[in-house]
Amino acid sequence: MSQAALASLLPLPVAIPLCGAAAAPLLARLSRKLPVIVSVAALAGSAAVLLLEAPSVLRGRVIAHYMGHWTPVHGQVLGIAFAADPFGLLLALAAAVIGAILMLYTLSELGGLGPRELGGYACLFQLLIAAVIGAALTADLFNLFVWFEVAALSSFGLAGFFLERPLALEAAFKILVLTTLASFAVFIGAGLLYAETGALNFAQLHGSLAGHITTPDAIALGLLVAGFGTKAGLVPFHGWLPDVHTAAPGPVNALFSGIMDSLGVLAIARIVFQVYGTAHTPVLGLLMTLGLISALLGAIMALAQDDLKRLLAYDTISQVGIIVVGLAAGNAAGIAGAIYHLVNHALFKSLLFLAAGTIVHRTGLTKLSQMGGLARHMPVVAAAFMLGVASIAGVPPFNGYVSLSLIHQGLQDGHETVPYVLTLVAQVITLAALGRAAWLAFFRRRAEDYKWRDTLRPGMLAGFASLGACCVAFGVAGPVVLRRLMAPAASSLLHPGQYAAGVLSGSAKLAALRIPFDYFSPAELVSVAVSVAVAAILAWGYLRIREPLVIRALRAIHTGSANDYAAYAIAGTLAAIAVLSLG
Amino acid sequence: MKQQNGTMSRAESPGVRDEAAEHEPEHRRWLGAVLAAGMAAALGTAMIGIPREHAALPAVARYALDVSLPRWGLTEPVNEIVYGTRGFDTFGETFLLLAAVISVVLITRSREARRGYFGEAQAGQREQAQCDPPEPAGATERAARSAERREQGGLAPGDARGPATPDATPLGTPAPETADAMTVVVRTAIRIALPVLAVAGLYLVAWGYSPGGGFPGGAVLLGVVLLVYAGFGRRRISTIIRPGLLEAIELGGAGAIIVTELLGLLLRGSFSANWLPIAAPQTILSGGIAQLFSASELIEVSTGLAIAVFALIGMGHDWSPDERSGPDDQGGPR
Amino acid sequence: MIVVNYLAAVALLCIGLYAVLTRRNMIKMVMGLSLMEASTYLFMISLAYRSGSTAPVLLSPPPGQSAGSLVHGNVADPVLQNFCLTAVVIGVAVTAVFLSVVVRIAQHYRTLDAGQVREMRG
Repeated sequence: MSQAALASLLPLPVAIPLCGAAAAPLLARLSRKLPVIVSVAALAGSAAVLLLEAPSVLRGRVIAHYMGHWTPVHGQVLGIAFAADPFGLLLALAAAVIGAILMLYTLSELGGLGPRELGGYACLFQLLIAAVIGAALTADLFNLFVWFEVAALSSFGLAGFFLERPLALEAAFKILVLTTLASFAVFIGAGLLYAETGALNFAQLHGSLAGHITTPDAIALGLLVAGFGTKAGLVPFHGWLPDVHTAAPGPVNALFSGIMDSLGVLAIARIVFQVYGTAHTPVLGLLMTLGLISALLGAIMALAQDDLKRLLAYDTISQVGIIVVGLAAGNAAGIAGAIYHLVNHALFKSLLFLAAGTIVHRTGLTKLSQMGGLARHMPVVAAAFMLGVASIAGVPPFNGYVSLSLIHQGLQDGHETVPYVLTLVAQVITLAALGRAAWLAFFRRRAEDYKWRDTLRPGMLAGFASLGACCVAFGVAGPVVLRRLMAPAASSLLHPGQYAAGVLSGSAKLAALRIPFDYFSPAELVSVAVSVAVAAILAWGYLRIREPLVIRALRAIHTGSANDYAAYAIAGTLAAIAVLSLG
Repeated sequence: MKQQNGTMSRAESPGVRDEAAEHEPEHRRWLGAVLAAGMAAALGTAMIGIPREHAALPAVARYALDVSLPRWGLTEPVNEIVYGTRGFDTFGETFLLLAAVISVVLITRSREARRGYFGEAQAGQREQAQCDPPEPAGATERAARSAERREQGGLAPGDARGPATPDATPLGTPAPETADAMTVVVRTAIRIALPVLAVAGLYLVAWGYSPGGGFPGGAVLLGVVLLVYAGFGRRRISTIIRPGLLEAIELGGAGAIIVTELLGLLLRGSFSANWLPIAAPQTILSGGIAQLFSASELIEVSTGLAIAVFALIGMGHDWSPDERSGPDDQGGPR
Repeated sequence: MIVVNYLAAVALLCIGLYAVLTRRNMIKMVMGLSLMEASTYLFMISLAYRSGSTAPVLLSPPPGQSAGSLVHGNVADPVLQNFCLTAVVIGVAVTAVFLSVVVRIAQHYRTLDAGQVREMRG
């Protein structure tokens, strides 16, 4: 197929799940599980179209298509461009495949829901994934905003899904307030950019902003980073994340943590690297600071949690922080590691959340203090959870090892010793938190025995098996994945001029990026071993001491009031604007 | 009574339960003022820097005006941009509205039969017991609940049955009004205004070459439905509005939009390309697929918003315990 | 003097923001967000204005001008009106979801005070 014809198929991965979403409530009237089955097919179809595009794009190429053939006229773009670069295509593919796996899990675990509920659930789920795919493939700022809003509205309905749990409604209110503030920030930022440059297309914006960035442009960048940072879950915009994850269904947790936050990170990466460029503003320093604070705060708060899903949610904040730290390193290894970690995070976090979701669904227990000894009763769930923990720990041969080593390498290449040390500290605390959770939930002996016995269902098994297999595969085949998938993606972010040329002309070749990576680097292996040992000691110690002052202070800051979380988000927005416009 | 910190006793809280709603304390006034002032300063700096009314029109806007007549045959460039040249944005927006309507329907749904054990229900019961306040319902809450019961048609023994219209109420009856519908003046005026409004809504879409389009047209048609609800009461409108049928129509509208855009890909090689012949300007069919898109958008917006409004109005109490208000209050029939 | 409009939009936004940050009644917070939405509409429409321009409608042009001369003449920006339409739809959609969530919270927690709807802390 010719390249232009291939590029014209790019809207299909967005349109197919939208068809499934539009059909879902009607299909639910015919049969309870039909919308879910159709959604698995729709997401698989979307992934198939993306796989069709993958060979030519992942070889280091940007292909673009203008909707309705409204191509640029003298470098001015009115039409909407869809551009598949390796970075966007990779994240779109991850969203489609993981979405299909999550829907398979839903078929067996949540298949007992009423028909109208299940139809609505399938509809919103597909709308969210379609929005993430659309945001990954778009090259137009306003189109990015529209897909961001579609994802936001779908997330509101999914957050408040279990109406019998008042916590779900409380969480829905908080995500509504914070995401609405974020959408205003993005909207005003986009308006300011259009007023200043007269451009909406990323390539045209890149050309206009290449020479000189005025104060309104810098303020717009601050607003955009704040708005998309809310979606990603960066501190201080993170107030909604732990609350929403506490009461949502398991697959929805995986969707939010794995796929929706990749929308936020993707948008930040595109705007910072491909539109604005990193030379004229201190944006990388800002991202490094926000990333480190997120990594540390998420890890420390995770250590102190009693609710299992809340603990995993704080861990999401920490991992997104590490991903942003990798991006902020600014060099090939760091950025490739960050993208790799984003994909890995989607895989192992989905695994962890599906395990936690199974526990809540089967037993009704949400607090770690009430659980115990589940390894004997739910061996498959325990195995899946431990696989996820091993991946986060960065233990070879699982996937976390490769991506975290790359991020460390990136920080070392950039001579950033303080961020490197802080990242290691955050990793150790994260591992301690997860180890504590695993001990309390699965391995600790419980006073009274449970009265039920676990039943294995095919959908659940399929979900755990496929995600676990991907975690292992992405770890064992690390160097191959790095060379074939992550290096081209990093090249797209590091060569914005080539990306812009590809978007304007329809096709362009990206410079090949060679990232040396030593799988068995002794320094990395030693640091992994040391961090596992320190984390084990920390977890053992934390189970026995009283809550330290630092943790009590941090928990007091998270008051749970929507007004306070909004105040933190606005303070963060102002700080970002101040740093970018005065720096 | 204004307090600086966040805590306060339950007796002073604003809301459904108690009477003292005028003395609502504010939450960290100084912090809110500082942050609002900071945001004003930051955005004000940006506003002073951006181009003002003497700047030239951006080239993309000029191009949009240029192609409006020759390429689309539309004398309304805004419609051409919304449904034609940047139709993909509006395509995304249609699904935004769909997501919102389905979210509202999900949040306002009533209980359905489920199969199998759901641990979340047990967790929910625990949390409900924790968060439910211990005081019994106050006078405001009781009045609100009985008003809701009256509207939804299920009356408890202590409720007074209101008249069907206020025309039957004797002059000088104290507030609040308890009738379902409004007075004969209002009802007659609505009967006269309704056909005009309905035609106006359809006109906004049909005459696509003048300002209008699917979104305002849909909103006007929704206004027609809301007028009937406000003037004639809930019982009259529930006989006409059936959520199942509306949902099917709305999803049909969304499907029509997907098909319209997809046919561009199949027939012209690009998603959202125009595949209808360009009619002469200032005729109803001018604009190619922009008109088709706009008409489908009208269907989707009007039915979707109607579903959302009536889902909100018809929300029951299925999911929350109501033992405090009365022995037989389990939420009225819908 | 369109900069007065811009600053008025900013002022409106900050009044709405103050309501969201300091008001505890959830309905008032929703109203504050509605106010912020309205300020963004004002901002977008003011951005579209050009001095002495007419509306970008080619139907029945003002006396002395034709459709062709309007295309190259002094008209306001139609692309920003597209933005504003999108924002209006988003505003309606979000407000609908907001109000349904607030009603459900009032059913469960029996209060509209955001300071008391905070079972999840820390």
